[in-house]
Amino acid sequence: MRELCDHAVAAALGAGASYADARVVVRRSQVVGTRNQRVERLDDAETEGIGVRVLVNGAWGFACDRRLTSDGAGAAAGKACAFAKATPSGHARELAPLEPVEGVFRTPVERDPFEVSLADKIELCLRAEAALAHEDVKVTSASVRAQGEHKVFVSSEGAATEHELVECGGGIDALAARDGVAQIRSYPSAHGGSSSQAGWEYVESLGLEREAPRVGEQAAALLQAAPCPSQVTTVVIDAEQTALQVHESVGHPTELDRVYGTEAAYAGTSFLKPEDLGSLPYGSEHMNVTADSTTPGGLGTFGFDDEGVPAGREPIVAEGVLSGFLTSRETAATIGSGSGGSMRADTWSRMPLVRMTNLHLEPGEGSLDELIGGVDSGVFLQTNKSWSIDDKRLNFQFGTQIAWEIEDGRLGRMLRDATYTGQTPVFWGSLDGVAGSEEWVLHGLTNCGKGQPGQHAHVSHGASPARFRDVQVGFKQ
Amino acid sequence: MSEALELAGRLLRVTEGDEALALVLSERSGLARFARSEVHQPTLIENDVLELQIVRDGRLGVASSNRTDGEGMRALAARAAEAANSAPADPDFPGLAPPADPPEVEGFDEQTAALSADDQARLAAAAIDASELDLYGFFTSGVTELALASTTGVSVSQTMTDASVLALAAVDGASGYAEQTSWRLGGIDPAGASTQAVEKAKHTRGAATLEPGSYPAVLEPAAFAELLAYFAYDAFGALGLLEERSYAHGRLGEKVFDERFSLADDSLDPRGLPKAFDFEGTPKQRAELVENGVFTGVVWDRTTARRAGNGRQSTGHAPPSSLRHWGPLPFGLSVAGGEADSPQELAELIGDGIYITRLHYLSIVDAREGVITGMTRDGTFRVRSGKIAEPLVNLRFTVSVPELLAELPGLTREQVLLNQSAYYDERYPQGMLSPAVATARFDVTGVGSGPGV
Repeated sequence: MRELCDHAVAAALGAGASYADARVVVRRSQVVGTRNQRVERLDDAETEGIGVRVLVNGAWGFACDRRLTSDGAGAAAGKACAFAKATPSGHARELAPLEPVEGVFRTPVERDPFEVSLADKIELCLRAEAALAHEDVKVTSASVRAQGEHKVFVSSEGAATEHELVECGGGIDALAARDGVAQIRSYPSAHGGSSSQAGWEYVESLGLEREAPRVGEQAAALLQAAPCPSQVTTVVIDAEQTALQVHESVGHPTELDRVYGTEAAYAGTSFLKPEDLGSLPYGSEHMNVTADSTTPGGLGTFGFDDEGVPAGREPIVAEGVLSGFLTSRETAATIGSGSGGSMRADTWSRMPLVRMTNLHLEPGEGSLDELIGGVDSGVFLQTNKSWSIDDKRLNFQFGTQIAWEIEDGRLGRMLRDATYTGQTPVFWGSLDGVAGSEEWVLHGLTNCGKGQPGQHAHVSHGASPARFRDVQVGFKQ
Repeated sequence: MSEALELAGRLLRVTEGDEALALVLSERSGLARFARSEVHQPTLIENDVLELQIVRDGRLGVASSNRTDGEGMRALAARAAEAANSAPADPDFPGLAPPADPPEVEGFDEQTAALSADDQARLAAAAIDASELDLYGFFTSGVTELALASTTGVSVSQTMTDASVLALAAVDGASGYAEQTSWRLGGIDPAGASTQAVEKAKHTRGAATLEPGSYPAVLEPAAFAELLAYFAYDAFGALGLLEERSYAHGRLGEKVFDERFSLADDSLDPRGLPKAFDFEGTPKQRAELVENGVFTGVVWDRTTARRAGNGRQSTGHAPPSSLRHWGPLPFGLSVAGGEADSPQELAELIGDGIYITRLHYLSIVDAREGVITGMTRDGTFRVRSGKIAEPLVNLRFTVSVPELLAELPGLTREQVLLNQSAYYDERYPQGMLSPAVATARFDVTGVGSGPGV
């Protein structure tokens, strides 16, 4: 693989590139999904190829080839240069300086997920599903996934890195329906569960079968619950939904390529400006957000990003003030700050983009019970159901699967169909408490979309439950 | 015989002795993405994905690979066989599809297939050069071939072309949007799309805010198609119906929408992005979903048809294996046109309300009731006295799609083809034919940022 990358880079330089990098990726992924005690998905996918990115006369070019041969590597390099030459740039592109490094990163794995038989994976799903059963639950589903990726990267500046990454994940869902009402509950997260960069031990740690009876019962109970009333009130948000709030309203707006408009036509831009760095009030003093590509178990953990920049830990928001952006070498050079470290590509056939790695809301103090105990009247919101945010990442609306009234510091009756909405800086400014590290949970999601052609990123977010005052719950009447 | 079908045949022969379906999806594409009037993400892709489904005693195993050599195929067959051996038998498994002659469809254009990287760059430049404002978006074209061969005798292939231009003309405080898609290069005009986006953007400066509430609205085809697609994936697929969780449950045969609203899934229509067969090899059929406001049907694949019983047959809407958990999907929706000559005429019909060009970041709040939230962007205006008036900031909406469709004062006569693909994973062209639509009720639940970048 190293030789193919070297060959591609040499071919690109020979074709006129001033800079070139090449990535060979060999990936295997398995998904086992069961639904109503039937096997719904039993996929075992392998993909491999080489992607070559070049700079020619200040213009980027990218091409790929599935053939892991010198012919394939050379063809990808030649086509990338030709495409770059066909799209001339009006200016030179600078890349932030980088000391070329060579290194290897491997995911620490206790149990290789591909050594666990498909039969055992199916059996786990079916057992967890069976434990979701309730007379009002119409659809039960369970899934587990595993991914192994071998990646080699070489740049014309002398960087040469290698990764062997392993991911695992799983989740369960119960959908209850009666009399025209349908409600869903999920564990440990909605939308396919949660994943971690780890071996099969992560799936075992989730306790899908153990948690299933509660999930099924709550789905059924939601059918009888009252709709969440519209009001401006205090909300306590569980760790999983807080993690998604961080993702959408902090992660994406601090991607510096969005700030510079390169996602304007699709995913959108950002309300932030480069000059906001170090001064913009993003939230209250309780708000501390960190980008950390070294977090054990994080889906955004690596030794080096897809430009060869070593992993690191950077403050993004410190005590409520914007303190950093997620950058590539190009955007870091443009802003004159940082050295990149957030460039990631979905696979060999996609060009790297600025992506979140692992973005965490740092823990505060105390427990979830103490957060709730500090609320006279409010709502506790748990587990994402819907999510939407505007193209500048200001106006958001989230829905949760389940909610509870809070009265006099205690949880009251269950509520369904809860949503909340707000404007990003105003909302984070209303943050008045984050639970402590004992409540801090790392959630891994695999469906973060960006780029054209589209790319899925796998990212993790650590968060504790958090409390926000004066939040619009439901819709304005 | 096409290369992809020949490849599928080779793969099938590796599985000697098993009941099997071999599927090959080949892609040759280029996408020149630009921002601030400069290409910044030019991507050329060539790939062949081989998928093998092996059936052993009613147990189905699926594996895929992009290795096309003999060793790669044998390894793929071994993994698919292991998957089949591991799966419990599914009493509802319908078996592999029998052979059937797919319909003759359009959807391939030599000129589009022949586009080179230089051509793709040139066509992106044509859009950029036509814009007096900074332009964001892309030009893309591709050739996709889907081939299926099975031990039950299926042997089909289709080569498709597609080309799209997306143009967002934007500066600080102003933005306008336009897009064009066709399977023929001659069907799109990158410079024209760019000019259209610029003209829209010029009218968005000084955007005003709007009080939340329910407003009559005109939705341009791009806005209406995106909203309808989010509703349709659940509401017009058989799986949600069978599982009693979608809007369709209990409503089939009822008049639940305005009588002006008729909807079909029609992948045979040459004005769309035609398809001859689905991912099970079943020939595509036109499926009537809504007729004059009556909810008449959903789309089916072989699995859901078998589960439903009563002689139900697939309509040719099986998704790729990776989307099987969604059930059959209506990827070729076509909304019947109305009588209005233009969106401006629809504005006259609503008198006072709002005008929407494009939507952003939709999410399903309540699938059973068809409640969807999202934002407007890149061309939202007030309608006053039947005229498109002052620009508005981006609006947060949370709408019940059935309520929105319950009263439609009018639809435009012309149906526009809208691209429905964001090119994630493997390329497979998808589009929707939609007119512009006037609705009596569009629920605005908040305001967001202004237009522009």
